Amino acid sequence: MTPVGTARGTGAARGTGGSFRDVAAPWRHVDLVLVAATLAVAALGCLMVYSASRFGLEQQGLDPRSSLERQALFVLVGTGVMAVVAAVDYRRLRDLAPVVYLAALGLLALVLSPLGTEVNGARSWFALGSFQLQPAEPAKLVTIVAIAAWCAGQGRAMDWRRLLAALGLGSAPMALVLLQPDLGSTLVFVAVVVGLLLVGGARPRQLAALGVAGLIGVVGILQLDVLAEYQEDRLTAFANEGEDDRQGASFQLSQAKATVAAGGLTGAGIFDGTQTKLGFVPEQQTDFIFTVVAEELGFLGSVTLLLLYGVIVWRIWRIGLLAKDDLGRLLCAGVLVMVVFHVFQNMGMAMGIMPITGIPLPLLSYGGSATVTVFAALGLVANVHMRRFT
Amino acid sequence: MTSDGPRLRMGVLAIVVGSLFAALFARMWYLQVLTADELRLAADENAVRTVVQPAPRGRVLDRNGVVLVDNRPSNVVAIDTAALDVDERRPVLARLAPVLGVPVEELVERLEDPSASPILPVPVAEDVSDEVLIRLRERQDELPGVVARRVAVRAFPQGVLAAHLLGYVGEVSPEQLAELEGLGYEPGDVVGKAGVELAYDRELRGEDGTMSVEVDAAGKPLRVVDTEAPQAGHDVVLSIDAEVQRVAERGLAQGLESARGRRFSDDDAPLVADAGAAVVLDAKEGSVVALASYPTFDPAVFDDGLSQAEFDALNDPGAGVPQLNRAIQGLYAPGSTWKPVTAAAALRTGLIDRRTTVDDRGSYRIPGCRGGCTRRNAGGAAYGRVDVRAALAVSSDVFFYGLGNDLWARRDALGATAMQEVAAELGLGERTGVEILGERRGAVPTPALRAARHEEDPVAFPEGGWFVGDNVNLAIGQGEIAVTPIQIANAYATLANGGTRFEPNLALRVQRPDGSVVREVPPRITGTVPVAPEVRDVVLEGLRDALVVPGGTGVDAFRGFPLDRYPVAGKTGTAQAPPRQDTALFAAVAPLGDPRHVVTVVMEQAGFGSTSAAPVARSIFGRISGLEQLPEVQLANGGRG
Repeated sequence: MTPVGTARGTGAARGTGGSFRDVAAPWRHVDLVLVAATLAVAALGCLMVYSASRFGLEQQGLDPRSSLERQALFVLVGTGVMAVVAAVDYRRLRDLAPVVYLAALGLLALVLSPLGTEVNGARSWFALGSFQLQPAEPAKLVTIVAIAAWCAGQGRAMDWRRLLAALGLGSAPMALVLLQPDLGSTLVFVAVVVGLLLVGGARPRQLAALGVAGLIGVVGILQLDVLAEYQEDRLTAFANEGEDDRQGASFQLSQAKATVAAGGLTGAGIFDGTQTKLGFVPEQQTDFIFTVVAEELGFLGSVTLLLLYGVIVWRIWRIGLLAKDDLGRLLCAGVLVMVVFHVFQNMGMAMGIMPITGIPLPLLSYGGSATVTVFAALGLVANVHMRRFT
Repeated sequence: MTSDGPRLRMGVLAIVVGSLFAALFARMWYLQVLTADELRLAADENAVRTVVQPAPRGRVLDRNGVVLVDNRPSNVVAIDTAALDVDERRPVLARLAPVLGVPVEELVERLEDPSASPILPVPVAEDVSDEVLIRLRERQDELPGVVARRVAVRAFPQGVLAAHLLGYVGEVSPEQLAELEGLGYEPGDVVGKAGVELAYDRELRGEDGTMSVEVDAAGKPLRVVDTEAPQAGHDVVLSIDAEVQRVAERGLAQGLESARGRRFSDDDAPLVADAGAAVVLDAKEGSVVALASYPTFDPAVFDDGLSQAEFDALNDPGAGVPQLNRAIQGLYAPGSTWKPVTAAAALRTGLIDRRTTVDDRGSYRIPGCRGGCTRRNAGGAAYGRVDVRAALAVSSDVFFYGLGNDLWARRDALGATAMQEVAAELGLGERTGVEILGERRGAVPTPALRAARHEEDPVAFPEGGWFVGDNVNLAIGQGEIAVTPIQIANAYATLANGGTRFEPNLALRVQRPDGSVVREVPPRITGTVPVAPEVRDVVLEGLRDALVVPGGTGVDAFRGFPLDRYPVAGKTGTAQAPPRQDTALFAAVAPLGDPRHVVTVVMEQAGFGSTSAAPVARSIFGRISGLEQLPEVQLANGGRG
């Protein structure tokens, strides 16, 4: 496959066209299951954000619905972005990738400057009027696109040179994110790069070598005190459950676990979770949004949510299989890993089987950057599905 | 890439993803279904403590806004017996004692006091300094079960004033709790236990708030999660006038003091004069203006709950049982203050009219009687020819003995219980219904009552019949009759205001701390008594004469009082109370023409009403009218009942 030319030609010839008779027309192949599952999770997210935030807002004398309204707006914008991303042939991304990638790196560098806003010790936001932009979120998707574009069409075997180039593409944003510091997102980059290398054709030996290098790196980081103490605490708290000091990270964890358990089989009922109402769980509408689902909707609600994510992931995986080209498959694999890592890491943290790192639960956590990014990523996946015959 | 290359790799990805989802599912199952109960329990305990924030209790004010009961902060050290094993108590108290600067025995005694609460921490020291409080908190580790905190206690800015009336607060008893079920009371609540505090508890108590605090493992508060602000109780504005109350209490105390040791007559023992009561009612409003009882006590003893020793002191018969509120609980023969009842009965039945006269030669012999049939006026005085008005003024017993005899002799026509009927209409021998608890009923004897008592218990009541002598005795307020000072006052008030009988109110209204009114306390009218104006006028004229005409029983006590500007009508009484010395009484209304205030003074073992009780009433009227402010109660010279 000759990468650039083919893609351009295809896009020009068929991507924009398509009559009503054309069974291969992209608009006839929208994955409605994916879209429905996406919107269902997003709607549940709005409800959960409302439940988690309204009492706190009321206590501060603010409109209890303000978080709900903003999250609904994010979902609306996200839906629009998803449509736009799906509309334009993904194969044109090969040309766009370098530009977008460099722009993302620029933003990640800029957020570290005084232009960025420091919240809770991490410099990861741009304040834009009453909204905030967290450049790490779109950077995840951009990095997926960049690595996918780089690996696709490079032939079957992945040699060390290409592997290192891909690693380099992943490492640059990862390093910038780590500097904020945002540990959770850093780990997302790691997962995404590993996932892309796996699907992109890295040999077992290469993957094993990377694994060993990674292990050495992690131990080294912990030993050399590169991390701030609180970060180290959070990463190891889930392993130290026995020592119940209710003050630091372990307190957060025990609160979250207690709240999840409080839901029981059927839950306390929507808006009736006492732990939620009384604000026991820190950062509940963002990082710990799952505890609201768990407490108020119980085991049945939690499993339903997990099933919805399962549907989304299954559709992404299926689209990856059906994809017409490597680029499409790699895009799907990258998005899949990103979504799965977020879901597993976030829910796992709330339930005490993963370290505490502040990354959002896709489509559920409050926050514009993450929500819109996930919509865009799923739009990209839908795009691949729509154009699998063209 | 070959076609199975990507498929294989996607397969690997699927396996990884599937495992991760399975792990999440398993964890959900474990947390929410398998171990949910344990963890939920932990959730409830681990992080939140709900602290009750007691509502500030309302204040008690007098009718002019003078604060009678307020709140003040006090540092209290208490022992939480639930948190301290019995065998640990001694060592802890031994460590606590030097910090408080109190002997350890005293702490042990207070902790083991039988009246101590089984639920609440038992207070062992009050009003400790802030420094001590801080030191105790610092040493919390070595002093388990010791609770040191600042609490609000009742404060009495007027000191001992109105102690009997105001009552006190304490931990709610199981009986009270059962009685108040459904009204939001809970074990351990501090509630009114007596007096106004009890009668108006629901308005005074307010509503406790709560504060939910997140705490760490050591119990240290981290942040406030949720608060519900306490609602302060309402203020109760009493009908009491603090100044009149003060004069009544001081007058009573001084009057008793001056009477004490005096000789009633040359051959009698010195007067004991150790107790008494004074009541001031507003006959128009149906309210209590002052209610004094002697001896009294310092209401501050109730601050921290009552210890056994304090309880004993309040009920010590040797000290006159200070806690007894004689104004509503003391039972006395009314003596000559009863004579208006006899006069009203005789006038109403037509036995006499206002012109009927009797020649009072100083003694009266019951017609047709054998043995012990002669009764004399006090001091053997003879008043000559008197009509009913004059007989009231000079308190001619002979005149009223005659009425008692004649009412009985003509009972077939006039009814056997003419006097008792008037008394019942005026409320004598019945509780007046004043809001505070413990009021006694007393009794006015009737032939039927006596027969019933005899039938029930012939040993204790050997005599079942009613004889003319009983009627003669009753005519001057003697015999088996027993009434309370507030009953006498309320009877006079009913007579004076034209027949409206009230249950005297202690409070005028309930208001918020800012003075806005929550509710007015409406007058409670029990009924209207048919008091014919002629009867009322004759009686009040007789009572006015008692203070102005030569020979009137109250003339000496009211000599120099501006009766022309503030006419008072009053009746003295000197009631026999064997084996004790005579009870001195005085009951009066003022101002005549449009009577408003009624004053009743009763002094135990204090001799003549005219010399002992009337001067106390004078000082009270002086304060009410604002016309006279006597530095001390002036005692009239000489005197008769």
